[in-house]
Amino acid sequence: MVVTCTVKVAGNTPCTNDAEERGRCVVTGAEMTREVKAISGQNPYLCMQCGLCSASCTGVGFMDLLPRKVMRLVQLGDKKLLENRAIWLCSTCLTCTARCPRGLDVSRVMEALRVINLRKGTEVLAPEGIPEELLTEIPQMALTSGFRKLSS
Amino acid sequence: MSIPYFPGCTLHVKAKDLDDSTRAALAALGLELTELPEWTCCGAVFPLAQDNYMGMVAAARILANAAKLGDGRLVTVCSFCYHVLKRVNFAFRNRTEARNKLNEYLEEHYNGEVTLLHPLELIRDDVGFDVLQDRVYRRLKGLKVACYYGCTLSRPAEEMGFGEPENPTIMEELVAALGAEPVGFSWKTKCCGSYQVLNNAALAADRAQAVLEAASRQGAHVIITSCPLCRYNLERLPVGAAGKGESEARLPVLYFTQLLGIALQLPATTLGLDSHYLDALKEARA
Amino acid sequence: MTAEKKTVSIYVMGKQSEVPYGVTIMKAMEYAGYRFIRGCGCRGGFCGACGTVYRKPGNFRLKVGLACATMVEDGMHLTQIPFYPANKAVYNLEALEPTLGTLLKYYPEITRCLGCNQCTRICPQELPVMNYIATAQRGDIEATAHQSFDCIMCGLCASRCPAEIVQYNVGILARRLYGRHIAPRAKHLAERVDEIRAGKFDAELDRLMQMSKEELQKLYNARDIEQ
Ligand code: SF4
Ligand code: SF4
Ligand code: SF4
Ligand code: SF4
Ligand code: FES
Repeated sequence: MVVTCTVKVAGNTPCTNDAEERGRCVVTGAEMTREVKAISGQNPYLCMQCGLCSASCTGVGFMDLLPRKVMRLVQLGDKKLLENRAIWLCSTCLTCTARCPRGLDVSRVMEALRVINLRKGTEVLAPEGIPEELLTEIPQMALTSGFRKLSS
Repeated sequence: MSIPYFPGCTLHVKAKDLDDSTRAALAALGLELTELPEWTCCGAVFPLAQDNYMGMVAAARILANAAKLGDGRLVTVCSFCYHVLKRVNFAFRNRTEARNKLNEYLEEHYNGEVTLLHPLELIRDDVGFDVLQDRVYRRLKGLKVACYYGCTLSRPAEEMGFGEPENPTIMEELVAALGAEPVGFSWKTKCCGSYQVLNNAALAADRAQAVLEAASRQGAHVIITSCPLCRYNLERLPVGAAGKGESEARLPVLYFTQLLGIALQLPATTLGLDSHYLDALKEARA
Repeated sequence: MTAEKKTVSIYVMGKQSEVPYGVTIMKAMEYAGYRFIRGCGCRGGFCGACGTVYRKPGNFRLKVGLACATMVEDGMHLTQIPFYPANKAVYNLEALEPTLGTLLKYYPEITRCLGCNQCTRICPQELPVMNYIATAQRGDIEATAHQSFDCIMCGLCASRCPAEIVQYNVGILARRLYGRHIAPRAKHLAERVDEIRAGKFDAELDRLMQMSKEELQKLYNARDIEQ
């Protein structure tokens, strides 16, 4: 079923986009893009989709969306991105950041997508879910960094 | 002269061997470290959200406390600590807004006066690798070493100032000064999976395995690092994950300070080295 | 010269009351008609039941104090935090090991500390709360035990913590671990216990039990007082 968006846009005319198409809505999607820009300090529209970031990514083989696609969906304002697993599999290794030919700090965009979630209380790493053996064995720095990046 | 030193949480218990070997090796080179009188966790990771200042406060306070000691320097060895402190210090020096905001939360005013140093930099600048070469009692001739920086020491290059973002060479310079042979190692700044070990252990195991294999391919006898989490991931995770059994020979992973200590002929106990590493090293060079 | 004020105006949970000058918050609240069912215990600054937060006019800083030990000031806005819900681990102390692993097992959230220092700022006992969490985080149980020693479990620090740490329960776990497993055993204590068990003091106790109240009072008043 096609759901037509009825949100009033410029000139009080309703936006007639297909609101369901890839979960995208021009109005609220633009809001996500704006938020990512503000939190990351990066301009996602600079990305030229070369894919160097994806080719460099530590999460390759585990992410369902690699950073290039993440960048594209930020440009498009696709809000489904916020529910994607890939953003939580980033280890902030900054390889993408070091290599992007457009000088984008891609890791900051990945972080912004996590932060939008975290600020609403959506998290993937809960202390109570960590097996006791791991919890007591692992260097504390892993807990501290994991909690800071992945729990709210 | 004694230099202010920030050990970081993990070095107190879990990576005591990194702490011990750092202090012992530097002392043997005439560089004495004094632990900051009071310190907290640095936060381990640098906040990448532009508006997250709270994530920088702990590191800011550590730097401000170090500034009070008047030496002008602060040494830290853990790669995560070094990364965070260096970037927060950079923010103090270069971002007016960050400086002002953070000072609102500090008990003492701080402007980025402290110079943060990694022991590798300290040895290079205060001792000199050429001088070190003459101080080495036990040349590690024939030992092939893979220098593993991991992802935190060299990136972002403009903030870290630790050499090329994907090809720093300072650890290789140290290894060469010890008489050992640094192997070419294109995986040296690849990530071991880091804290993803908590969230997706398979990812971290896969990455750690790839790093180990890359080092093996280059014929390395040993991998050295300055990061307790890299070491944990490299030593623990790949067992079984890529079909490698515990019984099979595994590349030993040491802290660079331990290798330095061996070359300086410091007793194994002061380096936190147990015999299985020493045996592995002996075997490697036989 | 203005005459010294006899009363001050305070606002308890927003409600204004005129109360005598120079009394504690606790007395002032009672004067204004509040009856304490909770939030009051020793009245002497020891039990930690009466944690109070307040602001003074024209100042954005949140202040705290114990209601039984803090004097009222004119224009004070205040409320009590007599209880703060806390994550409290249940454990068998005998079976625990005094290690970092134990602290992390029961309170993994200590590794979430942001170093914001709000806990230290608010502690009415002026304890280095942030520091004792930092020492716990690095596994220095002895330091945590010593630094948290004067904690009265008032709960104010936990009410402020963005990392949702319950500092006082971490502190008491460290003190218990320290006391039971780390602190050196006192030799003289063991000797005295043996003496008691062997009946060394039985005769003297029997003598005391036989005494009249007057005799006991006389003996008490004439006791040796350690300076
Ligand atoms: S490397 Fe940069 S330009 Fe290329 S796809 Fe990634 S973000 Fe876009
Ligand atoms: S920072 Fe994240 S997104 Fe970028 S390469 Fe590393 S893991 Fe991939
Ligand atoms: S440490 Fe916390 S609970 Fe203990 S006295 Fe201070 S504020 Fe109260
Ligand atoms: S209030 Fe919580 S987060 Fe802040 S310093 Fe204290 S323990 Fe750490
Ligand atoms: S009533 Fe006990 S501390 Fe105030």
